[in-house]
Amino acid sequence: MGGSGLRNLERRYRTLLKVLPRWYRRDREEEMVGIFLAEREDDLDLEHSWPGWGETWAVLGLAVRTHLAAGAALTSVPAKVVWRGEVVRALGMLGLLLGLYYATAAVVQVFTLFGGLDAVAWWRVVELAPFVAFPALLSGRRTLAKVAAGAPALLSVVALGQPGPAALMWTVFQLPSLVTFACLCLGFHRDAPVLPARRLLWWGGGAVVLGVVGGVAAGAGLLLLGLITVGARVFAFVRGDAVFGRALSLFALLQLVPLVLLAVAWDEAVMSRTVLAVLLVLVVVLPVRRRSKAAPQVT
Amino acid sequence: MSEQAFLVLTVLAEEPLHGYAIVQAVEQLSEGRMVLRVGTLYGVLDRLVADGLAERDREEVRQGRLRRYYKLTDSGVRALQAEVARLSANVRAASAVLRGRGVQAWAGRA
Repeated sequence: MGGSGLRNLERRYRTLLKVLPRWYRRDREEEMVGIFLAEREDDLDLEHSWPGWGETWAVLGLAVRTHLAAGAALTSVPAKVVWRGEVVRALGMLGLLLGLYYATAAVVQVFTLFGGLDAVAWWRVVELAPFVAFPALLSGRRTLAKVAAGAPALLSVVALGQPGPAALMWTVFQLPSLVTFACLCLGFHRDAPVLPARRLLWWGGGAVVLGVVGGVAAGAGLLLLGLITVGARVFAFVRGDAVFGRALSLFALLQLVPLVLLAVAWDEAVMSRTVLAVLLVLVVVLPVRRRSKAAPQVT
Repeated sequence: MSEQAFLVLTVLAEEPLHGYAIVQAVEQLSEGRMVLRVGTLYGVLDRLVADGLAERDREEVRQGRLRRYYKLTDSGVRALQAEVARLSANVRAASAVLRGRGVQAWAGRA
């Protein structure tokens, strides 16, 4: 492998295959290179050709599916890889739940604070996107879910068109939805496992109820959200669910960024936000596994 | 079952094949409509092997290149059988509807 006798085309294909995980390449690289180069004997072709766009795209797709593998979709997947894929999917799901929370809170605020639909700019309809994305994901319409989850993120890019501190701030606040969008695109690939829709519907209902509380009393709602995140994190730790625990700590980190920036940029130190920040820091730094259990537990 | 998985199962039902032979056989079977990319082929094979529908067979080295053969398992045969029954039922239903409209079910080719 990688010897000096390689033709350019073979070298280029081997370079392309480097996007695949090492454990997968070890098993498959020779076999795949054999197919790429089958019946290609023309000297000019072997020296000057490059992997085509279609082949490159297909290998990139395979790379996503193997790096973030679903345990059921591959045999002999290392435990670490299954773990990584599950964390990305759990984080995407948590991001969608957060989106549901904010969308519900926004709807409640339109009627309680602004006094109705007439006082709201038309483009804010984009904020309702989580109401489309969440059920779409549960019912297996993954493309629709990804597009809907990407809509708020797209808005943040449009906002960047007018540079300045406000646009930057907006982008930072869009960080959770940008990361959620990325997690959904990467984690929910063709081979991702089917979601337990019924159980997740309860979670979605919980997020909507919390959103109503958040819409009526903004500070209390956020604090409650923080407390629930801590509670879920403790629950995951006690159950030994390292995947959910790690996803929650990343989720908390995502929420911390806008919170800290708000405090620094506008010198705002509201008591409820400080308490929330402390709770979130705890969620981020607390261990996800018990120390006594050396071997990773992957379910 | 995706069309790609269906076609791969079909060509493996004849005899164990290596990767490149699968690509060629699928292209031939689909009359050039389906050309499997290598990344796609391995995604399909991984899924079939993990689901127990196909398994690795022998390996050989031809002109310095590794060839790994894949073959259908018994449950792969049953899965293909079930898919064929499902598709046939759909075809029969659609043909009956077309006949009802006085249209020939098989347009174009004989």
